[in-house]
Amino acid sequence: MIEINLSEDEKDVLQELMNVAYGNATAIVADMLDAFASLSIPNIKIMNIRELLNTFHSLKGDSYFFSTQAFVGEFSGECAFFIDNESANNLAIHLELDGEEDLNDAILELTNILTSTLTTRLAKEMNTQVQFALPSISKIPLNEMGSNNAFKQYSQVIVIDTQLNFHDQKINGEIFILTKDGSIKWLKNQLNDILKTII
Amino acid sequence: MKYLVTDDSKLARLSLIKSLKIHVGDAEIYQATNGAEAVEIVKNNKPDIVFLDLTMPVMDGYEALPLMIEEHPKIKVVVVSADVQEQAKTRVINLGAQFHVQKPINSDKIKEILKIL
Repeated sequence: MIEINLSEDEKDVLQELMNVAYGNATAIVADMLDAFASLSIPNIKIMNIRELLNTFHSLKGDSYFFSTQAFVGEFSGECAFFIDNESANNLAIHLELDGEEDLNDAILELTNILTSTLTTRLAKEMNTQVQFALPSISKIPLNEMGSNNAFKQYSQVIVIDTQLNFHDQKINGEIFILTKDGSIKWLKNQLNDILKTII
Repeated sequence: MKYLVTDDSKLARLSLIKSLKIHVGDAEIYQATNGAEAVEIVKNNKPDIVFLDLTMPVMDGYEALPLMIEEHPKIKVVVVSADVQEQAKTRVINLGAQFHVQKPINSDKIKEILKIL
């Protein structure tokens, strides 16, 4: 297993890059929903897979729509988006959707736009490009998340966690970007190259 | 002229200060890591121009902006933020900011802004 360590400066750079990327992604989703989102400060953590699953378990509520989108390139991993039942229903009301199929389609589209814009911009800030797989959606209880195959390929992960909050529409989501083991050395090098240009 | 750069990210502050120094040389540049610190610096040091992030811990830019203007009505505030939603831009201009600029800001943009201010 690779031992991951990020210095405070490396974390700060990654947090700032994520902030820029998330701002762009949110603006596009806000435009799509004709709503205003409040931005939160991204949280950067290094976790083993057990801690990651515990974090998922600690999310408020017990029934979530959960969608993921894998990305590959020098920077590769998985973007996961959680939206709880209440928020999903509010999304359906806001978009005047009818039926579960339409709602699933809307969540997938939201995930696709959010995660691809976010990850593309984050990659661009680190002078690289990524390719995406199609997003997939599932609705599973959080305590069964450990059996999800998507997370079995990770040992330790750099987790970039941020929230999507549309207060007026009562739509809240949580986004996690998980970095694959093989990309971690590359990521650290990129962060340090950026640091060298500033300091 | 005195300047204040407010951002919770050290990278963002250092990057902005590096670009700013190209145009203002050895001018006095203060730094704050959140809105509350920024308001305190404005109160005590009366900077002429403030570069202000929006999403920060303790006190965000939206809350700090009117407090800074209240402390120093002649202050000029340039919001530098990743929040590029139209409503965010309108809100900070209505609160009294002169500009809303998308992050990351570069030296050419700073030159352009300083020229107008």
